[in-house]
Amino acid sequence: SCSRAKDVTMPAKLPVNFFSTRSPVIDLFRGQLDYADQLRQDSEIVLYFFYAPWCGQSIAAREEIEHVASRLSDQVLFVAVNCWWNQGKCRKQKHFFYFPVIHLYHRSFGPIEYKGPMSAVYIEKFVRRVMTPLLYISSRSKLLDFLSNYEPGVVGFFEFNASPQPPGYLTFFTSALHSLKKDYLGTIRFGVVTDKRVAEEISLVHSGSVYLHRHANTSLIYPKDIMNFTAENICKWALENREMLIRWLRPHGGKSLLLNNELKKGPALLIFIPYDPLAEIHPLLDEITKVALEYHKCNKSQAAEPDLQHVGESDSPAFDSSVTDAHLKFSETFPIAKYPCCNTVVLPQWHSISRTHNVCELCVNQTLGVKPNKVHVPHCNFLEIEAALDSFYLQEHTFFQVISNTIECSNFLSFYSPFSYYTACCRTVNRHFLSLISSEKTIFQTPKVAFSSHGKKDNTQFSIPHIEDRNCFIPDLNISSTNITGLSCRTNKTLNLYLLDSNLFWIYAERLGASRSTHFKEFAAIVDLKEEVHYVLDQNQSLVGSTLENFIKNFSVLYSPLKRHLVDDPSAHFHEEHMVTEVTTNTFHETVFLSAKNVLLLYYAQWCGFCASLNHIFIQLARLLPPDSFTVARIDVTRNDLPWEFMTDRLPTILFFPHQRKEQSVKFPEDFSVNLPNLLKFILHHSSLSSSEPCTKECLHKESVLQQGHISHLEREIQKLRSEISALHQAHDQLEAQLSEARREEQRLQQQKHTLEKQHKTLQLHSEQLQATYDQKNQELLEMAEKLQELADASENLLKENALLRILVASRGGKLQNKDEIKESLQSEQTLSEDNDISLSTATAALEEKRIDNIDTIETEHSSGNRTE
Amino acid sequence: AAMQRFLGPLLCLWALRLPAGGGAAARGLDVASYRERVRAMFYHAYEHYLESAFPYDELRPLTCDGQDTWGSFSLTLIDALDTLLILGNVSEFQRVVNVLQEGVDFDIDVNASVFETNIRVVGGLLSAHLLSRKAGIEVEAGWPCSGPLLRMAEEAARKLLPAFQTPTGMPYGTVNLLHGVNPGETPVTCTAGIGTFIVEFATLSHLTGDPVFEDVARKALKALWKNRSDIGLVGNHIDVITAKWVAQDAGIGAGVDSYFEYLVKGAILLQDKELMSMFLEYNKAIKNYTKFDDWYLWVQMYKGTVSMPVFQSLEAYWPGLQSLIGDVDNAMRTFLNYYTVWKQFGGLPEFYNIPQGYTVDKREGYPLRPELIESAMYLYRATRDPTLLELGRDAVESIEKISKVDCGFATIKDLRDHRLDNRMESFFLAETIKYLYLLFDPDNFIHNDGSDFDVVVTPYGECVLNAGGYVFNTEAHPIDPAALHCCRKRREEQWEVEDLMREFYSRKKTKKFTLKRAPNHGEKESAKDPEDASSEKAGEKRSSKKSSHSLLSCPSQSFNSKLAVLGQVFLDNT
Repeated sequence: SCSRAKDVTMPAKLPVNFFSTRSPVIDLFRGQLDYADQLRQDSEIVLYFFYAPWCGQSIAAREEIEHVASRLSDQVLFVAVNCWWNQGKCRKQKHFFYFPVIHLYHRSFGPIEYKGPMSAVYIEKFVRRVMTPLLYISSRSKLLDFLSNYEPGVVGFFEFNASPQPPGYLTFFTSALHSLKKDYLGTIRFGVVTDKRVAEEISLVHSGSVYLHRHANTSLIYPKDIMNFTAENICKWALENREMLIRWLRPHGGKSLLLNNELKKGPALLIFIPYDPLAEIHPLLDEITKVALEYHKCNKSQAAEPDLQHVGESDSPAFDSSVTDAHLKFSETFPIAKYPCCNTVVLPQWHSISRTHNVCELCVNQTLGVKPNKVHVPHCNFLEIEAALDSFYLQEHTFFQVISNTIECSNFLSFYSPFSYYTACCRTVNRHFLSLISSEKTIFQTPKVAFSSHGKKDNTQFSIPHIEDRNCFIPDLNISSTNITGLSCRTNKTLNLYLLDSNLFWIYAERLGASRSTHFKEFAAIVDLKEEVHYVLDQNQSLVGSTLENFIKNFSVLYSPLKRHLVDDPSAHFHEEHMVTEVTTNTFHETVFLSAKNVLLLYYAQWCGFCASLNHIFIQLARLLPPDSFTVARIDVTRNDLPWEFMTDRLPTILFFPHQRKEQSVKFPEDFSVNLPNLLKFILHHSSLSSSEPCTKECLHKESVLQQGHISHLEREIQKLRSEISALHQAHDQLEAQLSEARREEQRLQQQKHTLEKQHKTLQLHSEQLQATYDQKNQELLEMAEKLQELADASENLLKENALLRILVASRGGKLQNKDEIKESLQSEQTLSEDNDISLSTATAALEEKRIDNIDTIETEHSSGNRTE
Repeated sequence: AAMQRFLGPLLCLWALRLPAGGGAAARGLDVASYRERVRAMFYHAYEHYLESAFPYDELRPLTCDGQDTWGSFSLTLIDALDTLLILGNVSEFQRVVNVLQEGVDFDIDVNASVFETNIRVVGGLLSAHLLSRKAGIEVEAGWPCSGPLLRMAEEAARKLLPAFQTPTGMPYGTVNLLHGVNPGETPVTCTAGIGTFIVEFATLSHLTGDPVFEDVARKALKALWKNRSDIGLVGNHIDVITAKWVAQDAGIGAGVDSYFEYLVKGAILLQDKELMSMFLEYNKAIKNYTKFDDWYLWVQMYKGTVSMPVFQSLEAYWPGLQSLIGDVDNAMRTFLNYYTVWKQFGGLPEFYNIPQGYTVDKREGYPLRPELIESAMYLYRATRDPTLLELGRDAVESIEKISKVDCGFATIKDLRDHRLDNRMESFFLAETIKYLYLLFDPDNFIHNDGSDFDVVVTPYGECVLNAGGYVFNTEAHPIDPAALHCCRKRREEQWEVEDLMREFYSRKKTKKFTLKRAPNHGEKESAKDPEDASSEKAGEKRSSKKSSHSLLSCPSQSFNSKLAVLGQVFLDNT
């Protein structure tokens, strides 16, 4: 290979268009930053999209930017700059650690970096905020509208009467822009009031004053006398003092401690809703924030709030959207009419052997009519609860069929009154399980007491649900059910409330157990990082204010009825032909405890190298053990949560649950290597039945079954051995074939050797002959050369003689001139010279012939030499 | 104190750069389309190799010709062989196997790197041998314990054995395939060049029944273990005659990387506690001395002082290795650090100065290395975090945009301006493409979790094979761990199993016998290899506390791992 090619290098390809030429985005793909700055002079709002053409994220964001540009191109200038090409100005001047980078300019103010999600709607929303950082509030109703929003609002009052621009207005405007730099999610909204009467609503009297609205705490007015009135200060002041009743979590995708920091503050309620930042109204969000407001509304500010809301309602004709209004009313009715009375009901079981019971908390609610006393929840009178029970009973199938480990609540309408509805929260109590569960003793022992006190009913009257004394079950519910208002201050398990856009972050919901089948991506979960538990709002219920309130209340009570949610792997595949049974959270109890077999259970994770390399051993084991009395099972604990008592801290872990003594599971000792003989011994050691008793008929039967099993096992072994033998035969045949092949080869080689030897001999002979001829020819050649020499000598002599003769002739001629007989002598001389010429030419010809001969012999010698080689 | 001073600016800088993410992942990535793009990338490179470079080792993509680099074995073809099968191209796999059987000759007068020949040639042939049945090749009756590819692998490995004939048992770096070690050969070998044999050599020994390979590999590993510093670190290069450390930089990257990798992978493949205990000791020292803010730096092996605050492209395998032993949280955190470097350049420079946030002089190249993608693939198995697919997307886009040329894919000579070099290393097809494809193909047979398996009848008994858990060698050649238990299947074990099965069906009589026997056997097991046991104890003495759990296990994931996706990381409570 040629060495020059090693040094061949090639410069990077020249940049080309990143955006299509028809795109509304101006694409400066040569990184002409200077030109980009020029462009900025002509436009009020500019968005710069700094990209690198190789960057996946830039490519993904390109479409989004184009989408936004197509909608806003008449108001905003979109400029894309290739900031990678090293000849370009941009690369020379800017130093980015990632791409794309989006900068926005509002006239000369900027750059404001956009750090939100790379999704068109979010970008558009942000651009619109940059376009109009201040909302103009013209009327009272608009003010109320502005303030009722859950996100903090800052209002400035500026009178535009005399001068074209009141003092401080520009500063306020800049502070609104400034806030977007810090608060890229744009949670603080800025509004401006110009009407004095409107300003009085929030007790702003002087032009130039700034007001920060707060729901739960008292609102603030910017302290001009303490802090300088600068854009930075206003922005800082608002950020520091804003209220965060409910927060959006928008992880940016890079390495971040956001969730770590938020969740370590304490238990958190994560609410996932699909969110469109551009939508005018967010009914569901309004409802949720209402709950959040109620939750945080501690006594202090309670007086001010209803006032505002009342005004808002009376003003309702002024609102454009009657939808919001209706919604508002609807959501308000819920918290007012709260569980006037509740009773505990134990549901009958259709299966008398089953050890489970469904216990329900049945409440009668009324949406209209007499408002119940908020402070004290009375017991239902018997008629009320009977009526509720009737309705409930008709719905019973919903509760019987679901064996649920969590509290499931559902509302259903009464048959008797159109205004009341019932709420039933049910869960399955497993008596058998109870003995195993120790950590949650408190709650589960209560119903146990209830069962025993109604023991008679328990045994005889399975067909009708009976009413328990409510005080036995969840005694604290009556306190919590009073109201959610201000609950955050009254409970010692305060929740932080968070919102997540399920369009972007649904993966977290899935991780927490959101079912993948739901169409609405709505989900709520309480995550308690310290306790390592999370609870999930029943997904059969729609996510509305009331269910959320229930969820919060259930969490807050002393003996919470919420059950730790166990995430289950929905993608686990169950194939009958699999040798190793795959267990999930949902099938765990059934496969391990309910089956009448010995169960060997492997805890594993797909990513753990030590687990995966054991696969073949467990498959072999499952193939070996009789399937009618043994189950070899495994559970992927990364995707399947288990009750605390069945969790392990190391993987792989092997547990054995012997038949009939399932509660006495044993662990495969960790210091033994996991291989087939060890596993068999382990099983053998622990699966021994109480067989020392004298043999009865049954035992004999068992024995015969056992022997039958052994026989079939041996048959299988024989089968295996047969196939092994056939494999051996194959190998044998293969070897045989190879051997005979080798023999044939050997023979062939032998023959070849012989022929080669023969050839060799003939060749040797030939070469000897050739050598002889060569010698002979050489001899001849030498002789020839000698003769030639002689001839040459002779011709030389002749030449000399000739010259002598010439001289002689010349001298004779001179003499003959004097004499008369000239002619005679001339003739004689001529004949003599001709004779000389002829002899010379023949000599040279002979010489040449010799030479050719000589070459020929050398050639033949050479070729014969080749052949002998 | 020096460390502290150094760490200060580092941390600040890092904090500044945190909001680096774009925050996409809104819509899921179109995995299938990326998978097809990776496939197209493979064939673009592979076909040009065959057309322009075969039978040379490597393709030169800028000049469209070939060159021999690591020997003269058509290296790219051997290396790409199992990638063909992973892409599902059975017919081409079969064709290439035939070509190699006829064309490759190891009786050549060539000075070859012992390390490279092992991982690329021996490893490639071994994995092709073990996969050949899956590829529909009619295997001989003795398979997987015999076969033409196995014989080739064995032949190649035997050519390397002379290098191990040193006083320490640590091999020379270079060997002549015809004449053995050249007189005057340098005795200085890098650590990885000593400790990266156990996976291939143990597999060879288990399959062929000749223990020599595993023995030399183990001996070399033990020699390194013996020569670690007092603080538990190993350097970069060592003299294999005198066992003196020549380069005393300790880190996890170039020169050392696959030594640590093979301790873990050897432990997994062979269920070997000794190897694992060695790794865990190293891991402790590495965490103590080299880890800063989820980066791993280079330190002096005796003093532990920072010598180079750089991140090397080769170090990016570490998160993948951590995920194999269950340290997923740390793995993800380190991975996210490394990913930011990719985002800055569209590739990983050989050296990246962490405090300066830029490439290091003369080390700006990116030869399309696989390590970060490899880690992404392992971590995706563990977390299903879409961020990892995003790295795959970025890799596909970058490599296509930057390094694709008419004749293949060219090494990036300088990441600052994306100038290209006239080389396409064989690991591009063997590793980079393979890991990328596997990242985008979660249903590939390589990811088999044990729900599928094959039963093969051999003259030595019945084997369960292809049940997943493939161990990749450091050149991404997968080895089926089940195959190791197939050939050397001890007759004793079989009889033992048979005995136990008999007891199963007549439990009553021998019940007590079983009771006694179970623990006894375990002792016998560990006593079998006295050398193992003794050094294991030594290891434990060092740590001065007896671990309560098995070394061959992973911790279960913590509760907060449920939410540790899309860049979110959690700090330990402890």
